[in-house]
Amino acid sequence: MAMKPEDVLEIIAAARGTAICIPTMTTSPAWRSIAPDDLSIGCVGFMGGASTLGLGLALGSPDRRVIVFDGDGSLCMQLGSLPTIAGIGPRNFTHLLFKNNVYHTSGSQETPGGDGVDYVMMARGAGYKEAFAVRTLDELRARLPAILTGEGPIFVELHTGLAEKTPMTDRGGVPFHEQVEKLRARLQA
Amino acid sequence: MAMPESVPAPLIIDTFKDVFRAERGGARRQDPLGWIISVPDTHQKTVLAALDKERDVRVLTCSTEDEANGVAAGLWMTGEPVIVMIQHAGLYASVNTLRGIAMDGRVPIFYMIGLLSRERDKDPRDSKQSMVRFAEPLLDLFGVPHVRLEGPDDVHFIPEYYRLSRERRGPAAVLVGLATS
Repeated sequence: MAMKPEDVLEIIAAARGTAICIPTMTTSPAWRSIAPDDLSIGCVGFMGGASTLGLGLALGSPDRRVIVFDGDGSLCMQLGSLPTIAGIGPRNFTHLLFKNNVYHTSGSQETPGGDGVDYVMMARGAGYKEAFAVRTLDELRARLPAILTGEGPIFVELHTGLAEKTPMTDRGGVPFHEQVEKLRARLQA
Repeated sequence: MAMPESVPAPLIIDTFKDVFRAERGGARRQDPLGWIISVPDTHQKTVLAALDKERDVRVLTCSTEDEANGVAAGLWMTGEPVIVMIQHAGLYASVNTLRGIAMDGRVPIFYMIGLLSRERDKDPRDSKQSMVRFAEPLLDLFGVPHVRLEGPDDVHFIPEYYRLSRERRGPAAVLVGLATS
């Protein structure tokens, strides 16, 4: 049975320490309530951009872990980000892919290739330092220390079901520009 | 109309360095001096080639201009000086990210945009090439301040528009009129 995204996020929130977290699309509403802090920035409205926003943050904050909560539909929109990230190789970068095989927000249309797409192989081929899939919460807990502290860039394909909320069913949250300002202030304090 | 001239790469790179030094000021972190985030542009290839030999400036080549916007935004949030080098076709390809990150996110992103195939004897708005002709109107539509680099005497626009992007907290662009030399 696929993992619940909210359970995955709870586990990461408990272990992230001072890592910057970047949720996008369906992980955004849940993360807002699980970790309502100024070290996170939710990306909605420029689908696919979370990973490279995270890359910039990782390059500029080399002493702090950066964790991107990407989606499979989102990653497909900027698939070239895999070699871009791997090419410069930020050691503090963790790329979590919440793979549910659909565009949940827009009505759960199947993503191109659906379940048959192997993003782990893509990340390995692009040159990520580590890339593997996680299918259960126990496996996630076991590998979490390496995921959050291992030498990056690390890519983890998380096999999940659908989130309870989407950016369309739960539109709240801090406006993007305010999140930008809060994170910037925190990082430059 | 005065005839445009090509701008030498070393002049542009020295100007970039001055911009970065001014932004760094007395900041603790000085290495690299600043970042160039690029998607390779034929029009500015001499600058990109010369940047490869620079030790002070770090260059990151992205697969797409969407990515370049994201990386630049992240770097800016951490206090890093950053310039994005793309061409007009890349501007067209990345307008949603320009809107979503630089405009809605109020993130200062400074662009050097090459006008590849711009005719020397024509104003870009009168170009036969649609990719040249639509660049300035597109920036106008989005309210992005822009200016043309039409010769070596115009390099002062680089620091001016870089600062403008920071002051207004949004995008600003210098359009490179002729291929750099």
